[in-house]
Amino acid sequence: MPIRILSLPVADLQYALNCMDTWDLVAFSLCSKRTKNLVKFTVRKIKKIEANVYDCRICLTVQAFQTIQNFVFIGIHDSCITLDFGKGTELWRKQGFTQRNWIPHFLDIFHESKIHSLVIMNVRLWDMDTVKQCIPKCQTLRIRENCYIKFENIEFLQLCSIAENAEIEKNIFTNENHISKFLNLNLRSVHLSDWDNPFKLELNDLLTANSINITIQTANIRENELNRYLKLWMKGNNIFNRPSYMKLSLIHEIDRDEVLRGIKYQIVDNECSLNRADGKKLSISIQRNSVDFEFQ
Amino acid sequence: MSSTEQGTSSAAPAEPTTAPESAAAPEVPESFYYVHGKDKVVHKVSAGALQHSALIHGMISNLGYTEEQAKANPFPFENIDGDILQMVVDWCNQHKGKPTPPEDTNLPKQKEKLFDLVLAVNYLEIKELLTYCCKQVAMMVKGKSPEEIREIWMIPTDAEDEAAEKEAKKRAGKEAAGETAAAAGDAK
Repeated sequence: MPIRILSLPVADLQYALNCMDTWDLVAFSLCSKRTKNLVKFTVRKIKKIEANVYDCRICLTVQAFQTIQNFVFIGIHDSCITLDFGKGTELWRKQGFTQRNWIPHFLDIFHESKIHSLVIMNVRLWDMDTVKQCIPKCQTLRIRENCYIKFENIEFLQLCSIAENAEIEKNIFTNENHISKFLNLNLRSVHLSDWDNPFKLELNDLLTANSINITIQTANIRENELNRYLKLWMKGNNIFNRPSYMKLSLIHEIDRDEVLRGIKYQIVDNECSLNRADGKKLSISIQRNSVDFEFQ
Repeated sequence: MSSTEQGTSSAAPAEPTTAPESAAAPEVPESFYYVHGKDKVVHKVSAGALQHSALIHGMISNLGYTEEQAKANPFPFENIDGDILQMVVDWCNQHKGKPTPPEDTNLPKQKEKLFDLVLAVNYLEIKELLTYCCKQVAMMVKGKSPEEIREIWMIPTDAEDEAAEKEAKKRAGKEAAGETAAAAGDAK
């Protein structure tokens, strides 16, 4: 019983589309360029898109508003996707599509410029360039601890360039792939976490760091490096210091007096307050195994 | 309370038969109007039921018909099939003077007529019925794949769309050329 929906008056057609479930709309958007544009006019929003990268495949978890099915899991293949609505798998095909067309299509119809998170799972051989081509931008890049890949500089930095925030659950840094290159990527936040293999930090890494919020657990840095960092900050050598918050959980216990040796400070609310000549302030909280810097 | 009769012609409609009114008849006599579709069958509809249609309601208000005049001049809707108009009239009668519920179980079930019904309801400006019809249209593709949707809703492919666009441009070009030639001929 066919019906020529595209011949309906525009207002009726738009109303009919507005009545549709989000996933029916997605299916409709894949019929042609015209149907895709009609779906864009419905201004339907999506709650969350998360991409998980496994060995040679990308899976999406999509959470939509106004739909019975809360989460839909999508496996992206070349010109087709498999959708798991929780009651069996469906296969949708789109002629002319390759792996890299699917995510931009979803983002486009839902008026999103980026996916919410990109998670690199247990990847061994996956070409990061392909991931970058499939995913134009992401809010948060997560590299899981079970990721086996050794990130080469260019690949890794290219991947970070599509993210606003980065969370790394494994110490993937080496002498060649140094942590300072990661800390000065100008991200909104970086979170490094590896309890078994601490992140080696040096004075220069702290001085060149330019992400706004930095959390490192666990970090390996000596008191004298922290002391020199504070002294340089007091001298105002790094005027364009961008970080506003930095938390270092340390592998070893530190001596508070060693960190603050030769530095003028006041105690305010159990924190040391450092005042620079140009009016900038730094609150520093030193515990046995952690240091928190709050720049104002 | 709806009634229909196979009309003879639009110019001289036959006396429509009236279905028995419900037991609780209104105290003030209700005025009735007459409409017919492509098949010329005249439907007698109360003013209250016709209030659902912004188009007919506007026509009644503007024309200021008496009942006799209304009987002699049924509103012609030549672009609406008789059975579709019947569905619309039935719906208006069922929902006369009642607030429309969010889900309408009385919606016509004939899916094959749904498309014509949407067009008719859109033309007659019956907002609530249009809402239900559009929902029904949306339900037709619930849980369907793109291929199935393309089939159900007869959606052309990009290639077909492009071919149709080229054809339309070609036709428009020919028409424009024809008009120019005609204008040049007139000028001579």
